[in-house]
Amino acid sequence: MEKEKKEKLLALFRSKLDRPMRYYLDVCTRCGICRDACFAYASSPKAEYTPVWRAEVVRKIYKRNFKWIGKLFPFLGKSKEIDDDTMRQLYDAAYTCTGCRRCMMVCPFGIDTQAIQSIAKLLLIGNESAPEELSMLADASIEKGKNIDLYKASFVQGIKNLEKEVISKWKGESDQVIPLDVEGANILYVALAGAHSIIPTASILNAARENWTLSFFEAVNFGAFVGDPIKTQMIAKRIINEAIRLKVKEVTICECGTAYRVMKHLVGEQPFKVSHIAEVMARYLGEGRIRVERDRIKGLITYHDPCQSARNSGVIEEPRYVLHQLTSNFAEMTPNREYNICCGGGGGLVALENEPFREETGKAKVNQIRDTGATIVATGCENCHTQLKFLNDRYKTEVKVEFLTNLVANSLVLE
Amino acid sequence: MSDEIKVIKTMDLKGLPCPQPVIKVSKGIKEIEVGQVLEAVTTDPGALSDFPAWARTSGNEILKTDQEPGLIRFLIKRMK
Repeated sequence: MEKEKKEKLLALFRSKLDRPMRYYLDVCTRCGICRDACFAYASSPKAEYTPVWRAEVVRKIYKRNFKWIGKLFPFLGKSKEIDDDTMRQLYDAAYTCTGCRRCMMVCPFGIDTQAIQSIAKLLLIGNESAPEELSMLADASIEKGKNIDLYKASFVQGIKNLEKEVISKWKGESDQVIPLDVEGANILYVALAGAHSIIPTASILNAARENWTLSFFEAVNFGAFVGDPIKTQMIAKRIINEAIRLKVKEVTICECGTAYRVMKHLVGEQPFKVSHIAEVMARYLGEGRIRVERDRIKGLITYHDPCQSARNSGVIEEPRYVLHQLTSNFAEMTPNREYNICCGGGGGLVALENEPFREETGKAKVNQIRDTGATIVATGCENCHTQLKFLNDRYKTEVKVEFLTNLVANSLVLE
Repeated sequence: MSDEIKVIKTMDLKGLPCPQPVIKVSKGIKEIEVGQVLEAVTTDPGALSDFPAWARTSGNEILKTDQEPGLIRFLIKRMK
């Protein structure tokens, strides 16, 4: 590797070395408790599928270049120089980790593997070997933020085409079925590109007679998936600027775990409240603003906690409250809540396809679902939904995968 | 729609979840020659802004967009 490139990569590495990061890199005793917490190792017990193995790839570089013992005596202990081989190892470490942080829950020292992998991702960006798909998607999102006027007219037309389906679920009348650009709205709802992310929620918001408006931007943050802190902020800023321009009171994020976590916890304080759509639905049900017919949905339902919105952001009880209004036939997975097992689709992995890895490492989740006896698994995250459907197809679990919003919209009791 | 413009490849992206439509198109465009045209069919309303934004950042050109309820067709020319 050329000296200039190596120095550039080391500068990127150094930029990540704040006090918590040094703690995470220094304190590991290699006890291996994290091993069984990882969805990948739990499904396929290979050393390279453990959080400690993945972290060691980064630690070896750290030792060689940032610790005196690694600099002076590289032949002692385990340290490694940055070279092309290391970059390949970093790619494998970073993109076999979903960043679910279940390992952090069990680590006696609270080591944040996702934070360590953020170093790996940043180095890959510096080396121009980050996944092209994720970078491309992040750039397209940023482009929309810079030049939204170029894309507005066609977006508006596309939204108009969805209104009939919203009305069929909501059965209401209004000039604004899917309102856009409403200044002073209570809620700015940020969806994904798919109709499934817009139609059910629009029906629910309208049934609750909410003063809301749909964002022009998609919630998903590919900058976060590719580990680019600047692009992460730029993508989030589009939504923040829109919310400020429209003077909304609340920004509600759709069923997208990482998008919610970024907006709630990683962009600093904002002049509006940030909520997950599950929280909003729970609020509406609790206040009687919407009503659902219990047990209209037939079958035993279980719930998969999306790692980013549940364990990493605290949206845990609200989906359960919603589900208990929807059904008397609910079974928890074991374990559940903040200890639930990652499905293996997050962190950009679903976008990278990589189906053999996703199938191999989804076994633990499949077993969890099978053990409940459920015929429906509900979840509140796009990546989880895609991954769970994929696992259903591959493992023939014969379980229907449903978004929470879709279950609620299909159970609405309308006057 | 395809009478005036010769389509060399058609991609059926109906029902694919985000972000699969854009990813598949970004891969599919590399399988045709520069100057050739790809047709992409999707059910994703967000594609109406996603695809043009992708085209602008990737240097490709959207020649035509047709909409009907539930279906959107793009003709995309590979430019480089």
